[in-house]
Amino acid sequence: MKIYINGTGIAGGFGCGSNVLLNRLHTGVACEPSSQDGYYPAFHADISSLYDFVPKKSLRRIDHFSQLALTGAYLTFNEAGQDSFDKMATGLVLCSGYGSAKTTFSFLDSIIDSGDICASPTLFSNSVHNAAAGHISMMLGIEGPCLTVSQFEISVYSGLLSAIQWLREERVGQVLFGAVDEYFDVLGYCYQRRYGRNSNISMSPLAPGIQSAVPGEGAAFFLLSRDKATNCYGAITSVNTGSVKDFDDILPEESFYILNADGHIESDKNYSKIIPEGSLVSCYTPYYGSIPTGPAFDMAIAALSLREGRIFPVPVNVIRPDNYRIPVQESTLNQGNISCVKAGVKGEFSIITLSHPG
Amino acid sequence: MTINMEELKEIIIKELFLEDITPGDIDDNAPLFGGGLGLDSLDAVELVVIIQKHFNVEIKDMDEGRVAFESIKSLASFIEEHQKS
Repeated sequence: MKIYINGTGIAGGFGCGSNVLLNRLHTGVACEPSSQDGYYPAFHADISSLYDFVPKKSLRRIDHFSQLALTGAYLTFNEAGQDSFDKMATGLVLCSGYGSAKTTFSFLDSIIDSGDICASPTLFSNSVHNAAAGHISMMLGIEGPCLTVSQFEISVYSGLLSAIQWLREERVGQVLFGAVDEYFDVLGYCYQRRYGRNSNISMSPLAPGIQSAVPGEGAAFFLLSRDKATNCYGAITSVNTGSVKDFDDILPEESFYILNADGHIESDKNYSKIIPEGSLVSCYTPYYGSIPTGPAFDMAIAALSLREGRIFPVPVNVIRPDNYRIPVQESTLNQGNISCVKAGVKGEFSIITLSHPG
Repeated sequence: MTINMEELKEIIIKELFLEDITPGDIDDNAPLFGGGLGLDSLDAVELVVIIQKHFNVEIKDMDEGRVAFESIKSLASFIEEHQKS
């Protein structure tokens, strides 16, 4: 059974909305990270579009993480043209590697600084695992099943498998599937402690022996359905995980590969163990940064590639290994599949393959 | 200690995330709840925490809260009175 992508909503270091991302993809120019807290540079998301849908006043108790998620959710329904939808037949799956870490640390800090009697009830309620999904459900009126998945770098795959299973079981007619991660100062501090101050860093994924990861944040949402809408992007044909020791049957026969290489030396080196030499390969992480839910952003780029019928150029600062074909200029997409690949430190990997809706 | 009401307003605006409101928008005598500021019961709980955290003054029950939260002016008076004791 094909699962169709009938809408997307995306926000990140590149800006807000799929058209903004599309413009960035045409240019091939990487985004510039910045430091807002004096720690390590990062890609900060633009969520200004959220205020087009919700008055700022009604967001005052909703933390940045949930606002990121709401941005993705509203943009998706808006793009899909669904002003009204069957609320009982719509499910929600939200994935995150870190969750609402900024709020959780603030809540813990309030206890450490002032004692448990001064713990903020608002911070507590936003730090709860399913809070962001709850905000989306309440504000958009979704009444179907609601799930939050957090399994660090495999959150997207786990969540996507659940969403697809709900659709296959006909438990719901459509699923709002979203991935969110936020930048938080503890993360910036950890990067700085581990990799040095590095204020002028730019991401150079796939560069052998060079650590160039830059943390990012954002939201990537998709409206998934068994039924193909007229403005459908493409179809999800497979979601697989494997290990470098045993993966022959997992790779699709003819595919354009989008690697989630994010400048971490230990994981970037494993892509060459998975993807066959001579394959057509690209990497778009310099547009949004190193994020545990990064594969969802690659999925959005793959969806745009399918809709536009184009292969977008690799950002200029991505190293171009000799053993792969790298798209240095924009070209026509001739491949039937696009596979979004995430490799882990220990040789584990996951692949989401998208194809034309047909 | 005399409480600077402008500072108190700034603390409330910051801690309650009151968007697009400045200290000048808050009338010293206007009710905090159900009126112009639009605060609600969860804000009341937050205010109890904020007052204890910033001024080390405890609002022990609803009766005390009702008096303290009448307006910015009454809140400042309540803090001054209880800081002395």
